Amino acid sequence: MNKWTVAAGSMVLAAFGTLLAAGTAAASPYEKYAGSTIVVSWPALSHFRKAETLVQEFTDETGIEVEIDALQYLKLRDRQLLEMSKEEGEYDVVSWVVMWKGEYVSKGLLTPLSQMFTSGALVDPEYDVDDIADAYLQNGGVVGGKKGYMPGKSGGLYGVPFGAETSILAYRMDLLEQAGVAPPTTYDELRAALPVIKDKTGVGALTSRGKTGHQVTAGWLLHLAPLGGKIFDDAWNPVFNNAAGVEAAQIMREITQTGPTGIPSYGFSEASAAFLQGDAAMYIDTLKIAAMSRDPKLSKVDGKVGFALHPVGSRCGSETGGFAVGIPANSQNKEAAFLFIQYITSKAGDRRMVELGGDPVRMSTIAHFADQFAEYPVVLEQLPCADPDWRPLIPEWNELNIDVLGQALTQVITTDEPIQPIMDAAAEKARAIMEREGYYAWTRYRGQ
Amino acid sequence: MAETATGRIPGHPRPRPRPRFDSRALTPYWFILPAVAVMAAGLVYPVLDALYLSFFNWKIATPFSKAEHVGLANYVRMLADPDVRESLWVTIRFGFWTITIEMVLGVALALMLEKPIRGASVFRTIFILPLMVSPVVVGLIWRYLFDARVGWINYYLGLWFGIEPQVWLGVPDLAFFAIVLTDIWQWTPFIFIIVIAGLQALPSEVLEASRIDGANWWQQTFLVKLPMIRSILIIALLMRLIDVFRALEVMYIMTGGGPGRATELLSLHIYNRAFDAQLLGYASAIAVLLIVIVFGLSAAILAHGNPMNEKTDV
Amino acid sequence: MQAERRLESPAAVWSRYGAIIVLAGICLLPIWVMVGTSFKNEVLIFDGRPVWFFFVPTLDNYEYILTRGKFDRYLVNSIIVGTASTFFTLFFGGLCAYALARTEFRARRFVANATLLVRMVPPAVLAVPAFAMVTMFSLKNDLAVLTFFYTALNLPFAIWLLFGFYKQIPMEIEEAAIVDGATAWQVFYRVLLPLMKSGYAVAGIFAFRIAWNEFILALLLTGRSTRTLPVGAAGFITDTGVEWGRIMAMGTLIAIPPLVFTFFAARQIISGMTAGAVKG
Repeated sequence: MNKWTVAAGSMVLAAFGTLLAAGTAAASPYEKYAGSTIVVSWPALSHFRKAETLVQEFTDETGIEVEIDALQYLKLRDRQLLEMSKEEGEYDVVSWVVMWKGEYVSKGLLTPLSQMFTSGALVDPEYDVDDIADAYLQNGGVVGGKKGYMPGKSGGLYGVPFGAETSILAYRMDLLEQAGVAPPTTYDELRAALPVIKDKTGVGALTSRGKTGHQVTAGWLLHLAPLGGKIFDDAWNPVFNNAAGVEAAQIMREITQTGPTGIPSYGFSEASAAFLQGDAAMYIDTLKIAAMSRDPKLSKVDGKVGFALHPVGSRCGSETGGFAVGIPANSQNKEAAFLFIQYITSKAGDRRMVELGGDPVRMSTIAHFADQFAEYPVVLEQLPCADPDWRPLIPEWNELNIDVLGQALTQVITTDEPIQPIMDAAAEKARAIMEREGYYAWTRYRGQ
Repeated sequence: MAETATGRIPGHPRPRPRPRFDSRALTPYWFILPAVAVMAAGLVYPVLDALYLSFFNWKIATPFSKAEHVGLANYVRMLADPDVRESLWVTIRFGFWTITIEMVLGVALALMLEKPIRGASVFRTIFILPLMVSPVVVGLIWRYLFDARVGWINYYLGLWFGIEPQVWLGVPDLAFFAIVLTDIWQWTPFIFIIVIAGLQALPSEVLEASRIDGANWWQQTFLVKLPMIRSILIIALLMRLIDVFRALEVMYIMTGGGPGRATELLSLHIYNRAFDAQLLGYASAIAVLLIVIVFGLSAAILAHGNPMNEKTDV
Repeated sequence: MQAERRLESPAAVWSRYGAIIVLAGICLLPIWVMVGTSFKNEVLIFDGRPVWFFFVPTLDNYEYILTRGKFDRYLVNSIIVGTASTFFTLFFGGLCAYALARTEFRARRFVANATLLVRMVPPAVLAVPAFAMVTMFSLKNDLAVLTFFYTALNLPFAIWLLFGFYKQIPMEIEEAAIVDGATAWQVFYRVLLPLMKSGYAVAGIFAFRIAWNEFILALLLTGRSTRTLPVGAAGFITDTGVEWGRIMAMGTLIAIPPLVFTFFAARQIISGMTAGAVKG
């Protein structure tokens, strides 16, 4: 055979192949998009690092290339906003901290997922949205319901939770035993235990985030909801300077005094590292700590950690936070992006995430692994307590969070000044912001 | 006077007339055009744009056409804003401590080491290293040294003085101290290099004469040498002062401006206000304030003489 | 001077050398900490006990950065932006400095003063307008935008520096060329430029250094594929902790070109610094 016959033969074969493919329709729902590349913007957090393996499996299976741009999570927003405000952005999938969802949607930067779920060619019939933990789905993905960020009939779906979380208590069984303290179930027990643990073990009692800005506010908010506090009342008046807010701030101060050295400089990673490296006896924050404590690269305390419910104050109320993934309105590859999101949050993908050391978002996954991991039963019990209103996810939240509360609470934990005036001053600033943004117009209009 | 500060070797005075490009009167304009165009578009336009934006309430990722014109509201707010005042105060305190210490240290070292020594070029090379390293890298190095858990500073303070580990970057006063120390490490060599160049350019006859007149070391230093390099000292001081208002990268990396606003110099404050709190218009108003301060200081330098105003080496 | 030195006691000489060596040590120490840490493994770093010299060095950090990170991409971007902005700075700045130093024209004084004034524009002031320009005009090529801003930031200092160098060249040389019938352009290109080599070298080092080291505009204006090295380095402050070994390795790599410049051209750099009494 000379090379011409080979060429001719292969052309015939190729033509035949094309005919066959056209005749039998797409063999795989992914086929149409194989070879395209999507760009994903998500945080450089443990869960997402583990997900890189899943992403590789997605590419192997579908032929869709994925490029990940992992950034420090508080730097994500600037970058995403810049890209999404261009005519054609770089990103096809963005992962946001739930507190940004209101802003993204109000600025028209996200693709409503209804546009995707109406396409029979894209949606996997076995996807089962209802299996995703409702607290997570509502908190991370639904925008436009009650107050704009809560569940409600006026809401629409813009994202799917991935790396979503609630808060639990993790504790060092050995240290608590040494101190003769039982894992606290209420805030009174917690406050009593803090100095005892510090005195008896010499190790910091409870680690917390405390860095100026978002971090210290996040630490404080964890205690605000269980103590019965709120940021705003129903008419958007700031009420975080009431008794519950001041008590939560007082607890933050006590935690800083009895905790590991350096809480005022701790971001999320430092606060977690303090617990994982053995410098703190307790941890109240995201359930992500459980998977991290089993990772030998991050943790020195594997096997010594117990889990319990987030302590209760006047009510039970754990955080609802973490991340959700969605598609920017200016993405050029929306279909492939949807297939990617569907893949990583599918039942199989979710289970695979747990195997890789990540965190699940589906009830079926949590139930499936309940026997294997000590924290899963706790999480199942904690989820009904998860409070979707533990912080207001309004577009103005970022300014309040960083500029107002983030500053005031730093003052609380780094000085001995009386707390009430600090919180009152912050409330005044918050009111000025809400006034500026027009939140009180309706109340005033009704009042006339 | 200013000659030494600009490094001009005093030229040979030359008599006029000299050739002008009189038949090609436009030629100089063609020569300066590209540079002037780039500076106009890249420096002057943004400054004017900042001024323009400062009259709007504009949020990130919304079209500018939707921005609300708010008149002078941003300026009214700025003048009453305790955060701006605090950041300005931090900047002034930072400038005071760093510049005072750097000037005293730099001048003292230069006086101590002005005499020629063996290996001077090697030492001088070493002294300018802190100036050449990227500010981001400087910030990273010192963030590591000041780290509460693994930092070397805590370790040696504990080892030598029995001091408990401190959270350097998490306590307002300590964090402020940390950025001051970092700045001193980085910028003292700058003063040193400039002053020593000035000292070595002093005419030796004058020093000789003063010594013959019986001046002792103190008199020679404070009555002869330092007054003679006064102009250099003033320019160096103004330059450092302007730098204080421009500084942001080292603090961005080390503390991000925290805790609270304890290390948030004015430049960093603008950045944080613009991109954390996303108040683009308001941040622009603060930027205008910064520009006014910096241009005021620059005018002080200009008043000291702009060598480029003298066309010829007369 | 000679006479003075002979009078000095050996003790004074030794104390002077002692002082200078201590100072050199203070300047070098943090840089050594960076280089040393970049060769340490995580266990050694997180142990918290400083080890100065005697540890088993590892190349793991460098291997990670060079293979798993996007170091090559950042490096190429930094080199592109650095060389392009240096080229434009020298080209435009040289022309402008020449005209200011050698000719008289009506706008001269204004240009000279304005140049000195805009040299001080803080990068933070540029941040918001630059961001606005990029979003409003939908500018796509990040590296070109960055090159443009770096050129603008570098020009005033380069003009000031080159102006000083032009002034040192005697007028006779040009006069002779003009008598021979050379045009202004020929005088500039054939006669002056060769004499200006060292001046351009100094200005070039300063311009490249700014472009290589600049952080805040690069952070704002570059995306995933156009980041420069300093922005890439800051990216190693991750949410799972600061990866000190890797960050220090990245820092070491970023510091190499400035350090090399310093060792080979310390004299020129010092002349540049003292020329403007300026940071640059």
